[in-house]
Amino acid sequence: MGKLRKAIRQATAAGRHAEARALRARLREAERQWDAEVEQPATQPPLVPVREQVHRALTLLGAPTAARMIVAVDESFFGGQMANTQLTSLRRDEEKSYRSAPGARPYYLCAALTSELLSPARGLLALSTWALPQRIIGPLSPRTDFLTSAVRLAEHLMRLDDVSPGAFRLLGQLAQNIPGAGDGFGPADPAKVIAAAGAELAVHQERDQMDRREAAARATDRLGPVERLFGSGIRTVRSA
Amino acid sequence: MNRLDAIRGGTPGQDHNARSIAALAANPACDRRAVLDAAAIDKPRLMRRLRFDDRWGQSPFAIQRNQQFTDLVKANGAAHLLRLLRTLLDLPIEEAGYVNLEDAGGNEGQVARHGHTRRVIRQTAEGRGRATILDRPLLRLDVAGAQVYLEPDVIAFQLGGVFHIVAIKSFAIVDDQADTPKVSAAAREAAVYVHALRELVGRDLVSHDVILVCPRDFTNEPTATTVDVRHQLVTLARQLSRLTRIDTILDRLPENLSLDLDALSPAQIEAAVAAVPARYAPQCLSACELSHLCRREAHDLGHLDALGRVVRDDLGGIESVRAALRVATPGEPVADDQAEIAERLRHVARLYDEAVA
Amino acid sequence: MSLLHSYVKVKARERGRALPRATVRHVHLAEAPMVFVPLRLAGEAAAPLGAMVGTDPRRPTLLVVPQPRNRDLRFQFLADLGAVLLPYIDRISRQVETVEAKTPFERCLDAPQIVVPSPGGVEFAAKLGRSSRFRRTTGPYAVDPAVPMLGRWLTFLAEQSEFAGSSLMVAMTDLLTAHWVTGQSAVEDADLAALLGWIDPPEGLTGPEAAALADDPLTPPAGPDTHPEFDRQELQKAIEHYDVTGSATQVEEALHGQLRPTWDRMWQAIGLLAALKESPGATTRWERDRVHVALHRAWIDGGGLPQGKRDSAVAAAKRLARLEAAQQSFEATRAFDDPLVMAEYRADGVAFAGEVVAVDLTRRIVPPGGKREVPRPLVTIETSDPVRLAKGKKVRSPSRPRQSATITSLADRMVTVQIDDGMGRGSQPAEGSVPGVGTVICYTELDPGESRRAPLPPREETPWTHGGPPPDYVPTDDDAAEPWS
Ligand code: SF4
Repeated sequence: MGKLRKAIRQATAAGRHAEARALRARLREAERQWDAEVEQPATQPPLVPVREQVHRALTLLGAPTAARMIVAVDESFFGGQMANTQLTSLRRDEEKSYRSAPGARPYYLCAALTSELLSPARGLLALSTWALPQRIIGPLSPRTDFLTSAVRLAEHLMRLDDVSPGAFRLLGQLAQNIPGAGDGFGPADPAKVIAAAGAELAVHQERDQMDRREAAARATDRLGPVERLFGSGIRTVRSA
Repeated sequence: MNRLDAIRGGTPGQDHNARSIAALAANPACDRRAVLDAAAIDKPRLMRRLRFDDRWGQSPFAIQRNQQFTDLVKANGAAHLLRLLRTLLDLPIEEAGYVNLEDAGGNEGQVARHGHTRRVIRQTAEGRGRATILDRPLLRLDVAGAQVYLEPDVIAFQLGGVFHIVAIKSFAIVDDQADTPKVSAAAREAAVYVHALRELVGRDLVSHDVILVCPRDFTNEPTATTVDVRHQLVTLARQLSRLTRIDTILDRLPENLSLDLDALSPAQIEAAVAAVPARYAPQCLSACELSHLCRREAHDLGHLDALGRVVRDDLGGIESVRAALRVATPGEPVADDQAEIAERLRHVARLYDEAVA
Repeated sequence: MSLLHSYVKVKARERGRALPRATVRHVHLAEAPMVFVPLRLAGEAAAPLGAMVGTDPRRPTLLVVPQPRNRDLRFQFLADLGAVLLPYIDRISRQVETVEAKTPFERCLDAPQIVVPSPGGVEFAAKLGRSSRFRRTTGPYAVDPAVPMLGRWLTFLAEQSEFAGSSLMVAMTDLLTAHWVTGQSAVEDADLAALLGWIDPPEGLTGPEAAALADDPLTPPAGPDTHPEFDRQELQKAIEHYDVTGSATQVEEALHGQLRPTWDRMWQAIGLLAALKESPGATTRWERDRVHVALHRAWIDGGGLPQGKRDSAVAAAKRLARLEAAQQSFEATRAFDDPLVMAEYRADGVAFAGEVVAVDLTRRIVPPGGKREVPRPLVTIETSDPVRLAKGKKVRSPSRPRQSATITSLADRMVTVQIDDGMGRGSQPAEGSVPGVGTVICYTELDPGESRRAPLPPREETPWTHGGPPPDYVPTDDDAAEPWS
């Protein structure tokens, strides 16, 4: 540390500012390690494996969904605790597992496929147990899936007696972006969400289903079983 | 354009982005900047080699904040953005298509991604396809003969066949007011995207109103406004065309000029930079990575410009500190065209001396 | 700005040292100014990171937010800041005198004065005020009662600072550039360290050398924005350390290192300003500040609501008019108080000075609209100033501020003015009421107006915060709940 301090003084004296700054940061770091070689955070093993947490969230949502939303639903509806980062390698791991022993598991967390290129849609997770059209993402699908999920969450809330305020808050956030479903403030009214989302769904559904069925037929034609689940293209073994 | 490659030498060039292209217009009169940019010289690297402090980074907190906000706006098929567009552009309910153009069939190369973007945008423009929100497009622009790839946040397509550039920024709009410099910076950047998109689909299909999405007040809640970037487009076009006419500037430079950062010593680099005339003004400090170098040089030469536009305008025609003080001294000979300013300066000098006495 | 200012800049550049722009201090300095150096988290509108605050140069209070994204910690910071600022404001603003006038009014004996490094600091204080004044102290999003109260005072002080010449909340770089001229550009003058380097460089350094140190990585910026490299190399790790261990020491150390140099500079600058004699105008304006504080104090104590989010169109227009009037009267008063400031106007031709070479005391005319003949003496001044005032222009002189005059003729170096008033009621001008031959006198179109006479804005123009018309904005539950991103 003494050396570092000296180097800083020299660097500053010589007007080598960038260098002095970097050295100074290193000094801080060294000092820190010196007097804080202590506490490491204890990581707690989760009660339910991440895989299952994702599965139950996706089952509730009923449509291909991004990691962020899965985490939010898991937290507010199931009291789960996941970090976004825990989901990043999930799809790749599932693909490996599928390739080594196809069909050995009752379900796989897999990809949604883009309708145009049948490549894995970025950032979305889906369930292998869903029908293929459900896993296809056409231009209108992100919207219909969003509306569908909102309806399903609202229905779920109506069935439950004991609901966490977090679940209502989450639904409120979704409702804010559905015309006529709520104003974004305060807890959402599930019945209103269902009606409003249903109304907009009616506008898009037919065209969306058409796109999805057409692409699904193409996928069944052209793709092998692995590709059908994890998408075609060279990026199949990359991030979820 | 071989000359430009020769100047850069073996050192890898700096990739342009919308921000750096927008910054081209910050000091249009400066040859030095024009040459360095046209040759894609890595200016931050140049400054590091000359041991200047690097002040151009962005705080990791700002980067993170921006990323989080962008993710929020784009989440769930850009549900927030869709809501905002429905209010702002009266987007009909049916238009809700969202396409992530980054999904280019597993091909992540820029050429392929740009090709994919181009195809989808053409389709959309011709009324085929259902995309309204085009996320993560990759556009291309010719800057001084080099292909520059640009990644706007989002392009929105609206009934009536007009594209809008959407800029997502994490600075807050508090009580309907935002920080003016930040809005202008966003507008300059968005203008680059408008320009690039117009090259692709034609002028009339791209609106000069860009859509700025920011957090409202102190919340995370996205809100949107339109910003007219016509003015920025004009400035940009002028500067880009100036870069294509870089030859006339190059002709005035030493023939064997090299700015091969990896091959030259700091002293050589400094000498090479000095060989390209600059036009330093204090505005450079917030717009150009070279500013500290040019400032030092300008002060060493006693340039009046370095003291700011007001001083330069007030003492119009006088170039240096020394010349100004000479002109202000009674009895010193002055040129005819400086007779008037000389008289005024001498009067002012007397006033000042009297008042501080 | 004026040609004179530009000339002095050039001269300062050559000297390597700042030169005076004023001969007296045009701002009031409180006996115990409260120095406030706030820092904000990059990328956020109003997320406080830390601050150094206090009235004792040797004992600053350091406040930090060890995890600036944590909403509770932010409010804790505001509560802590309130614990420093509010007792200071309360103690001073509760001592009130009644000023005897046609309508007697209250005035604080003294007023609080908050000094921040730069205009950015004022802006940030306003943002903090905006983000905290609507908070509820009960219910689901309850905060410490100090938070909304602090928000109201910060809002008030930041609003007052927009009025030229108010000394309640001031930015140090503004004060320094109003009193000294450096040899660098205005952009660079915005940096406290560089500015102070020119004005008061350390032993053995020239101004530019000292200013260059401001770019040194070891010289932190004066805020509210931190250096991105500091964020990356120090702050980020310190915050992570807090997240893991719950110990704020690293964040405290890091921010202390960023704040302390600026803190010391603030007091160095206060010392420089204190060495200048206060101008009479600054004292008068401070009286006015004291009236405003008394009004705001009374408004709060009377249960008034916090300031609205936006002014109504009418209120905004009125406010603009008041801002403009304040600006004009401030500029004029400065010039009347200080020959060096007046010299800037003389250089630009809106003021002139010289010796009286002829006086016609006997001249009498019937003024337009009048019936009787009255004395209207003529005074002719020889000046070498480049006068740009036109015939018929009303002018005043700093040496006789209550007397107005009109320019009647301009010839080569000779200006004749007609004295219009202040000569008594006799048929001849009273003794000494007209400048005599040989007197050196300065005339200008500037008119300090208001500020010289009335220390209080007329009742109907009183801002609603001070008991004027009631606000049309009433904060709602949403304001109190506004989640802080
Ligand atoms: S900093 Fe230098 S190179 Fe950059 S624009 Fe200014 S003068 Fe030109």
